[in-house]
Amino acid sequence: MSSNQPVVYDDAIVKKFLGATLLWGVVGMLVGVILALQLAWWPANGDIPYITFGRLRPLHTNAVIFAFAGNAVFTAIYWSMQRLLKVRMWSDGLSNFHFWGWQAIIVSAAVTLPLGLTQAKEYAELIWPIDIAIAVVWVAFAINFFGTIHIRKIKHLYVAIWFYMSFVLTVPILHIVNNLSVPATLTRSYPIYTGMTDALVQWWYGHNAVAFFLTTPFLGLMYYFLPKAAERPVYSYRLSIIHFWALVCLYIWAGPHHLLYSALPDWAQTAGMVFSVMLIAPSWGGMLNGLLTLRGAWDRVRQDPILKFYVVGVSFYGMSTFEGPMMSIRAVNGLAHYTNWVVGHVHSGALGWNGMMTFGMIYWLVPRLWGRKMAKESWVGLHFWLATVGIIFYIIAMWAAGVTEGLMLRAIDPDSGLLLYTNFLDVVHTLDPFYWMRFGGGLMFLTGILMMFVNVFLTVRGSGEPFSAPAAAVPAAK
Amino acid sequence: MADENIIMGHAEDNDGIEEYDNSLPDWWLALFFACIIWGGIYAVMYHGYQQTSQEKLYLAEVAAAEEQWGGAAEVDLAAVEITPELIAAGEPIFTQNCVACHAADLTGGVGPNLVDEEWIHGGEYADIVKTVTDGVPAKGMLTWGPILGDEKVRQVSAYVYSKSHQAN
Repeated sequence: MSSNQPVVYDDAIVKKFLGATLLWGVVGMLVGVILALQLAWWPANGDIPYITFGRLRPLHTNAVIFAFAGNAVFTAIYWSMQRLLKVRMWSDGLSNFHFWGWQAIIVSAAVTLPLGLTQAKEYAELIWPIDIAIAVVWVAFAINFFGTIHIRKIKHLYVAIWFYMSFVLTVPILHIVNNLSVPATLTRSYPIYTGMTDALVQWWYGHNAVAFFLTTPFLGLMYYFLPKAAERPVYSYRLSIIHFWALVCLYIWAGPHHLLYSALPDWAQTAGMVFSVMLIAPSWGGMLNGLLTLRGAWDRVRQDPILKFYVVGVSFYGMSTFEGPMMSIRAVNGLAHYTNWVVGHVHSGALGWNGMMTFGMIYWLVPRLWGRKMAKESWVGLHFWLATVGIIFYIIAMWAAGVTEGLMLRAIDPDSGLLLYTNFLDVVHTLDPFYWMRFGGGLMFLTGILMMFVNVFLTVRGSGEPFSAPAAAVPAAK
Repeated sequence: MADENIIMGHAEDNDGIEEYDNSLPDWWLALFFACIIWGGIYAVMYHGYQQTSQEKLYLAEVAAAEEQWGGAAEVDLAAVEITPELIAAGEPIFTQNCVACHAADLTGGVGPNLVDEEWIHGGEYADIVKTVTDGVPAKGMLTWGPILGDEKVRQVSAYVYSKSHQAN
């Protein structure tokens, strides 16, 4: 099936998505640090309604999930699928429509959310006209994606492509079903679901956004970029098949664990909980395939900051996919729910897994896209340590805050049987030191991504040694 | 199971990425099956064998609390004498918990004015005790009974009652 004409890949689109990843990463994390400061010291909201916590928080989550992580995944897809299928994207026009459409959606989110225009559904805050735009842009992307698969030159579909497919197919289903609503005005609408049904649909969407936006496409990213950077064979093809199917089949049921001890019927709560626990092994399958691929390359992990990013990223994936199921167990959830523990958990996923995998990919791609080594090579290692230590500060602070908070809220005076901490503000102020510690960790993480931003900017501007990719041969046997 | 490290031979189809066909690690497979089996057992135990539910568990906890801390004699509110001591004890409770909505001079804000002539839920001492105890959740007033306890509810209600009667 090979043709003699060399394929010219569309790398311009990869460069665009990579730049957008960096830009929105800086914006999203800067907003996160401002919010962390507001929680420790409320006057940081400056008495300006547009940047109060309630309006800025959805901007932070949308920016990090859909702008930073989203653009990172699109960067990975546009680079790797062309090379895995040995074909240029099906339509350059659709690629560019996808890019500019997606950025326009992000900008409109950054305008509407501070104005207080929201659907008040977590991770689905954007108002209905923007929701329709998301669906349109996504369908254009999906047509381009499957069009490229249709015209591929390589019959075999590598495992990364399966993970990308689950992402491209499932995200629009989740998005459309959860956002079905009746528009009332240009900026307001009412969901077609009511009460508990609305909550259940929302968390079916919410949890599978974690699954199919932040997990499966990043596993696809891992399956391509980790063995590339390590120059080692993937540990197990068999494991990749089994854990892929187990993951996509089980994940879709786990949403109700966000609604334990609510008006949701008990059987549905049980389903959410047991499917979450069943997800431990399929998730760890991905971690194992990532870490064991590095067997025989551990000496290089010591030297190469890109591999360090991957090791820490994959380890955080394993850690948070163990922590998540534990938190879905009824008794643990009774303590953890509505506390900062949940905030710590999502950040070990978003900073540890999505962030670190993205950073490793960008440092690997930039020299290959622009033909120059990083302008400040020593900064890459520094970024790694800032990010790693920053995350550790962050999650330790949130674990401590969450458990403290959970225990205080349920503490009972043994003599009277009454609540011990009747004033909620007492609980809040107890958490102050943890909030400051989290602010410090977040600031370190932000400093790291700012260094990367400057580093990439300088490299693209042309101050870096020429780079030529090493021969593509991957050493096979030990 | 030992790693055989057999190469799949797909590398030229995978942009140069080679894959081994190693077996699933035994411990990983055991973990997978153990979690599935545990999930089944849990569901059967919870819903089948124990026939439990969050409602039953809640009622059991309430009954246990009643057993341990309940049993205080019912106080006849109509017979409670509103002494200066009772009123004085109520003042700091009001300052700490109520002023945010009802204001330090009781003229209201988020919550209704307590020193005008109108009473939405009744202005007798027993009415006030009942309103404080149960709260008005629909309007955002907390259910203070389990937070303050009966004694403090009686004290703070006495303070409100006295202020209201001084004003009118």
